[in-house]
Amino acid sequence: MNTAVAPLFELGAFGPRGALVVAVAIGIAFGWALERAGLGNARKLAAQFYLTDLTVFKVMFSAIVTAMLGAYWLSRLGVLDLSRVYVPETYLLPQLAGGLLFGAGFVIAGLCPGTSCVAAATGRGDGAGVMIGMFCGVLGTGLAFGPLRHFYDSTARGALTLPQILRIPYGVAVCAVVVMALVAFRFAERLERR
Amino acid sequence: MPLRRALAVLAALGGLLAAFAGSPYRAQHATLDVERAAAAIAREEDHITAVELAEWIHDRKPELRIIDLRTAKEFDDYHLPRSERVPIEALFGSARGGPARLGPTASLRPGETIVLISDGGAHAAQAWVLLQALGFRHVYFLRGGLGEWLDDVMNPTIAADASPQAIAEFQRVSALSRYFGGVPRVIDKGAEASQRRASGDRVLRETPSSESGTTPAVDVIRRRGC
Amino acid sequence: MSAETEPRPYADPYVAGAGLGLVLLAAFVIMGRGLGASGAFSSSAAGLVAAASPARAAASPFFARYLTGDGPWQEWLLFEIAGVAIGGFLSALAARRLRFAIERGPRVPRRARMVLAIAGGAIMGTGAVLARGCTSGLALTGGALLAAGSWLFMIAAFASAYLLAPLLRRAWR
Repeated sequence: MNTAVAPLFELGAFGPRGALVVAVAIGIAFGWALERAGLGNARKLAAQFYLTDLTVFKVMFSAIVTAMLGAYWLSRLGVLDLSRVYVPETYLLPQLAGGLLFGAGFVIAGLCPGTSCVAAATGRGDGAGVMIGMFCGVLGTGLAFGPLRHFYDSTARGALTLPQILRIPYGVAVCAVVVMALVAFRFAERLERR
Repeated sequence: MPLRRALAVLAALGGLLAAFAGSPYRAQHATLDVERAAAAIAREEDHITAVELAEWIHDRKPELRIIDLRTAKEFDDYHLPRSERVPIEALFGSARGGPARLGPTASLRPGETIVLISDGGAHAAQAWVLLQALGFRHVYFLRGGLGEWLDDVMNPTIAADASPQAIAEFQRVSALSRYFGGVPRVIDKGAEASQRRASGDRVLRETPSSESGTTPAVDVIRRRGC
Repeated sequence: MSAETEPRPYADPYVAGAGLGLVLLAAFVIMGRGLGASGAFSSSAAGLVAAASPARAAASPFFARYLTGDGPWQEWLLFEIAGVAIGGFLSALAARRLRFAIERGPRVPRRARMVLAIAGGAIMGTGAVLARGCTSGLALTGGALLAAGSWLFMIAAFASAYLLAPLLRRAWR
């Protein structure tokens, strides 16, 4: 028996044209949320790395916890078919190396790809700069992709999840992430007050 | 901050209950639209012939993915151009507590046209059903498996006394065959019979026979000089 | 400066975060996929290369992936990122935070800040290609779905940012 009504697009509620309209609408909400939180401001993002303002961490983890709980409970209640939601695939070494590079770029630029768009749209020249750099980086890497290809496809693990690695029930992993986040938030508040 | 507190309580509650509520992935057991699948089978939209596949490869059909389900050894010995090897268990990679979806090597997208190939066609047909359950729509299996490809594309034959219509068709297939490096032949009745028996042998050996050093199927392939 | 033109303070980070989480959840429920940003850059880069030299684009397996289907300019993430710019603009407009400026440390020259922004962006671009995503598409989306690679990426990115941060302290002074 399948009572799930979502994901709407995957279950054929609308077509590819509609998906692009949804893309703009979701993007607007995404951009709005980022700007409200202050993540369109490079100084606020950079402060995260000097532990003077932990907004990035708080926003990111409350978002992860909210979406994780929402997705989990909507699936448990039979509304959302989670198996039709795309889970980013794991490629251990490329993602480790990519993460290290990305983090370095992040702290140098003071903005990440999504927030650079918000920064640029709200008049910040450095936001536009990061977007240009980002574009060049992707372009250059794409053009010089040949030698990277083997590495790029290495250590593929598919749609691997943390509960699969830890061999614990999915719900327990959800609970652990929530507890970790709440403890970390408490810690972050204390750190900021100092 | 009462709002903060409310959010924290809500998250804690949702999290703690989740610890006892199990997995959200019901679709370890993906659902199959049985009617739809049956209709596709009845309309023969589930498979393609070797010659059709040869045309797709030749015409460089966009977004075509040819998935070869045979063993690594069989694949190394001979495979179709543009095909990629994905063992059937890797096609649906995922263990408990995670999404039932395609494994790492496949990364198929629903928009792509997927052609499944196995030795005799059985595994490919089974994978077709499984992919249907995962919601892939443009999936076909090579009807007679690799055997059909070898017979109809790589070694097309025609009886010397065939009808003009059959000969015209044979010429079309021959052109395709040569594109893939095949050897079209016109043969007399006796030779054709032995030809058929050879391919029959191979189909019988569809079941995994990889324990032995070289599989009989591979020998047949080698004999044919592919 | 009167109170009428003063920029409003930013929202509470937890409330804004929960809002962002609901947006991500909406993407799961409506589209069956998460948010993203770097994909829009990849797709437009692929489109640009394809326009300049189709052979060159097809030769790169990375770009080739974006050239299938409806093509690089119909990519979902491209429309989403356009929405991000609109949403960010509208939010800043409503909160009176629109301002032409270059965010930098008080003693940092504009040019130095711009060089760092472009260089950092380029490094992030390379990292995002290798990792198949960025903070939005990989960390946020996959984080909420408990994807192993997403958490690995997040840990690696933050670790490397914190390691490098002391060297860049001057950039924000």
